[in-house]
Amino acid sequence: MSKQIQDAYIVAAVRTPVARRNGAFRHVRPDDMLAKVLRDVVAKVPGLDVTEIGDVITGCAMPEAEQGMNVARIGLLLAGLPDGVPGITINRFCASGLQAVADAASRIRLGEADVMIAAGTESMSAMPQIMGNKVSLNPEIFARAENLSIAYGMGLTAEKVAQQWKVSREDQDAFAVESHRRACAAIAAGHFADEILPYAVKSYAPGADGTVRITERVVEHDEGPRPDAAADTLARLKPVFAARGSVTAGNSSQMSDGAAAVLLMSEAALKRYDLKPIARFASFAVAGVPPEVMGIGPVEAIPRALARAGVAMADLGWTELNEAFAAQALAVMRQLEMDPAKVNPLGGAIALGHPLGATGAIRTATLVAAMQRDPGLRYGMISMCIGTGMGAAGVIERV
Amino acid sequence: MSRLIIRKVAVLGAGVMGAQIAAHCANADVPVILFDLPAREGPANGVVDKALAGMKKLDPAPFAAKDRAQYVESANYGSDLARLGECDLVIEAIAEKMEWKLDLYAKVAPHLRAGAIFASNTSGLSIEALAAGMPADRRNQFCGIHFFNPPRYMPLVELIPTAATDVALLDGLEAWLVTRLGKSIVRARDTPNFVANRVGVFSILAVLHHTQRLGLAFDEVDLLTGPRIGRPKSATFRTADVVGLDTLVHVLGTMQATLPDDPWCAHFRTPEWLQALIAKGALGQKSKAGIYRKQGKQIQVLDLHLQDYRDSGGEVLPEVEEILKLRNPVEKFAQLAAHPHPQAQFLWSIFRDVFHYCAVHLGDIADNARDIDLAMRWGFGWAQGPFETWQAAGWKAVAEMIRDDIAHGRAMSDVALPAWVFERDGVHAPAGSYSAAEDTLKPRSALPVYQRQLYPDRVFGEAADDRGETLWENAGVRLWRRADQDARIGIVSITSKMHAVGEEVMDGLLEAIARAERELDGLVIWQPAPFAVGANLQQVGEACRAGQFDLLEKMVAKFQRTSMMIKHAQIPVVAAVQGMALGGGCEFVMHAAHRVFALESYVGLVEAGVGLIPAGGGSKEFALQAHNLAQRAAGGDVFPYIQNAFQTIAMATVAKSAQEAIALGFGRAGDDVVFNANEILFAAIHRARALAESAWRPALVNPAVTVAGRNGIATCEMMLVNMAEGGFISAHDYRVAKAAATALCGGEVDTNRRVSEQWILDVERAQFVELLKTEKTQQRIAHMLETGKPLRN
Repeated sequence: MSKQIQDAYIVAAVRTPVARRNGAFRHVRPDDMLAKVLRDVVAKVPGLDVTEIGDVITGCAMPEAEQGMNVARIGLLLAGLPDGVPGITINRFCASGLQAVADAASRIRLGEADVMIAAGTESMSAMPQIMGNKVSLNPEIFARAENLSIAYGMGLTAEKVAQQWKVSREDQDAFAVESHRRACAAIAAGHFADEILPYAVKSYAPGADGTVRITERVVEHDEGPRPDAAADTLARLKPVFAARGSVTAGNSSQMSDGAAAVLLMSEAALKRYDLKPIARFASFAVAGVPPEVMGIGPVEAIPRALARAGVAMADLGWTELNEAFAAQALAVMRQLEMDPAKVNPLGGAIALGHPLGATGAIRTATLVAAMQRDPGLRYGMISMCIGTGMGAAGVIERV
Repeated sequence: MSRLIIRKVAVLGAGVMGAQIAAHCANADVPVILFDLPAREGPANGVVDKALAGMKKLDPAPFAAKDRAQYVESANYGSDLARLGECDLVIEAIAEKMEWKLDLYAKVAPHLRAGAIFASNTSGLSIEALAAGMPADRRNQFCGIHFFNPPRYMPLVELIPTAATDVALLDGLEAWLVTRLGKSIVRARDTPNFVANRVGVFSILAVLHHTQRLGLAFDEVDLLTGPRIGRPKSATFRTADVVGLDTLVHVLGTMQATLPDDPWCAHFRTPEWLQALIAKGALGQKSKAGIYRKQGKQIQVLDLHLQDYRDSGGEVLPEVEEILKLRNPVEKFAQLAAHPHPQAQFLWSIFRDVFHYCAVHLGDIADNARDIDLAMRWGFGWAQGPFETWQAAGWKAVAEMIRDDIAHGRAMSDVALPAWVFERDGVHAPAGSYSAAEDTLKPRSALPVYQRQLYPDRVFGEAADDRGETLWENAGVRLWRRADQDARIGIVSITSKMHAVGEEVMDGLLEAIARAERELDGLVIWQPAPFAVGANLQQVGEACRAGQFDLLEKMVAKFQRTSMMIKHAQIPVVAAVQGMALGGGCEFVMHAAHRVFALESYVGLVEAGVGLIPAGGGSKEFALQAHNLAQRAAGGDVFPYIQNAFQTIAMATVAKSAQEAIALGFGRAGDDVVFNANEILFAAIHRARALAESAWRPALVNPAVTVAGRNGIATCEMMLVNMAEGGFISAHDYRVAKAAATALCGGEVDTNRRVSEQWILDVERAQFVELLKTEKTQQRIAHMLETGKPLRN
């Protein structure tokens, strides 16, 4: 176990439902989503002196336009937190939300803060092009062959992983069906009820007599899971990224909108507020891999995070492994010999959606809720691959 | 006469025809309400909504642009009949059942606005009988309006008045159909199946009859009755599959029921094999099997000898092929009739019986012979109508051959040819076309709307067109004028084969424009379709083979000079476009001061198909457009506009309508879209005159165009890397597309650097010549010249 001044503990974690891109949150702003989860997470800790919050670290993978201008600071001000509370937006693409949790924990572990909020927010609906509002590549990428893979689309890298790790189309589709099955079962069983706080979406449409018709719809559940997902219908989808490939819209993660927030405290703060924490943030690791096989990133990050936490793979009771693509998730699981039953027990991004920079914080909330439900669950992990070739993993321990 | 105003149209019935008629009105900027029955479940307009959604997937597309569908409102008879009061024209297009139609008329009549026209799209029911279903005071505003499928693409609309129909109203409606919707009109009489279907269905019957009589195979007959005799590629049996065999049988039934006195009535029945197919549910394309079916990629055809399907093939006897290639129709018909082979006998027989049928019925079904000929061209896609075919083949001789065949029992009916046939040398003459009912020659319609058609579709034997006065010409172009229209607006017409642009065309255009600048007020570039199929690849290919790259470089430079001359001439140069305007043709169009597009214009920069990029100023024009558009965008970034152009050029996208051409950037928002292609020259002359009279000035050459530069090229290249790695494009596709990106982005300069137009022209020319030097591009050019199809290498 790595040396640290003190431990950081997770006290509360909440999230919005995750909506499909251009779905229920089509007109919802990502800064509003952030403000909502910040209010919600603070409300989970009655009596908290919000002036004690050392920083609000927010992950966002495309921090521009509606989620630009340091969305963390804007979101916390919109949430009504005091002017004295600072905010910072960080970006490690798909690991941004997890990185936020890790960075918030680090500040506590270093003794620089007693109360921290980590968050993530992302609206993929707000982005007309999924690579951001303005795409501009460096000519140097194309000047040298070894740089070319920087330009690869994520789907193409998933094809490369499928090829190199020999993941068949059938396995990918079956994995996707299982993701939907687990997610639908989890919704039916109410397993997301503790982490999701319903979102009241207001919509403003032209109404009769020149008035604007304002309606409100409360969204309570994740929008992505499909109860009718079946192998034969998935088998009919055409590969999108390679003419003779295996990666389809059906066995890839969904583009989504969503946000989450996690409140962390030092032991001293816990004592002061007389709070019982849910989990201890045990370790975090991030590592690079070749960009053309970015999906394999967790294979490098997970062993490091486990080693730092002093935990064996077998000790993990629950892993939230982001399903960017079935191809890479399966390759990672096989390479690390992970137990499929313990990976994404409630389904993953193929069913639940993947709002890029928010996903890490969202899945932290899912893992924290699972620990609250199950006293027998001791160690859990959140991990994901990261565009341009990285992996991240964070381990938490139920206390 | 006061103007007929049609602000809004209602179409009753959202079936194949109703929905597509509605779509075409929307194409022409006429808002439409499309009605059908209220849905039994779900939203009340479900039936219409489903029809509208279905049309977005049809090919060829009923809508001329994506946004058109929003101008068709859905409605249902249950709750929306009051909205009929908003409409000036109501077209009924429900199923062909008299009692259903009369029922609907009774229901809608009270809601029609005073003065609104109500017209039925029936293809066969009696218009008088339908009119009786309208209140007496509305019958003068009732007529038949018979569109052909698909209504956007088939020119013909038959207008069928009743005795009570208001003449001025009908004239107004005809003018509206001609100019606004771009249709071609035949005034028909209220006889069963009117004109085109009466003759067209008989022609199918004749084919059925002689196919069986001579024991020919269906695929063999389709080879014989397609383009070889000037008819559509789908010929006879494939067309029947597309139309639906049940529909065909229904029409035959109608003919049998309504034409008991027709001398050919005995033939108005369904052959047993056709009945058997229908009994099996093989109704044609819609049931995936009919006379033909598709097994995997193989097309199979029903073989009556085998009583089963076999792979489709068929051959035309070389001797028959030779006869069909004869240019002289007199020889062609004489040889067909004399040749003993069943294929030749078949062809002579189907022509003979249709000639016979048309001659006997001319007096009952049509005002004159021209109407029958044009109806068959416009409604069935025949290159020539039956009477003009006969006349071209030698009227008297053919008449004698028919008489002889009748006498010997070889014709389908023994009824004699009418006496007038033997009293004439033909039916079409400069003074007009023959009317059997009135025994006189009838001139063309005198309606003012036809003054807009300087070169209408002519039938064989009609008076020759006014070719205008030639001012100058060379081997590639003719500069001329129509002094009767405007003596100081010149017309320059490309005269090369397929209007391909070679040296002589460029030289011609440069000289013609120079002359027009000195002597005229404006210039129109016009020639009958196609506008131009692109650069003369033959010349390019030859120079390539000879390794004359310096010469090619000069050729491209001249191309660019011609484009720039078109754009910067001291007089307005208006491009009048119809049909294909591809490659270099498209570049000339882009450089014109103004464009007059026929709706059916097919415009695109397709150079990538032969391994090249637009280098006649086309890439430069898109770079310039991006610069201009970005001026109005926040941030002023040119790249989003470049990205769209890059995709258009890299994928060689061809716009499939005038509206699409404008949307893709080949034209501009203020350009004219003329629905009737025969009117574009008239419109373009008037447009050139209007520009000349309204302070028009030639565009300045921009010395400071903001370009996307190196980052832009790199960002385009990102797309290419992904497509190449994904196996969607070849290495040479990549190279060609990168050259296009380089030209569009103004070369390898800093992003947002300002460069002159000439700099961009130099970049596109250099990229073009480099591509020409590659083996793969040379292979693509050679392949295109040999096969007419692009090579993927």
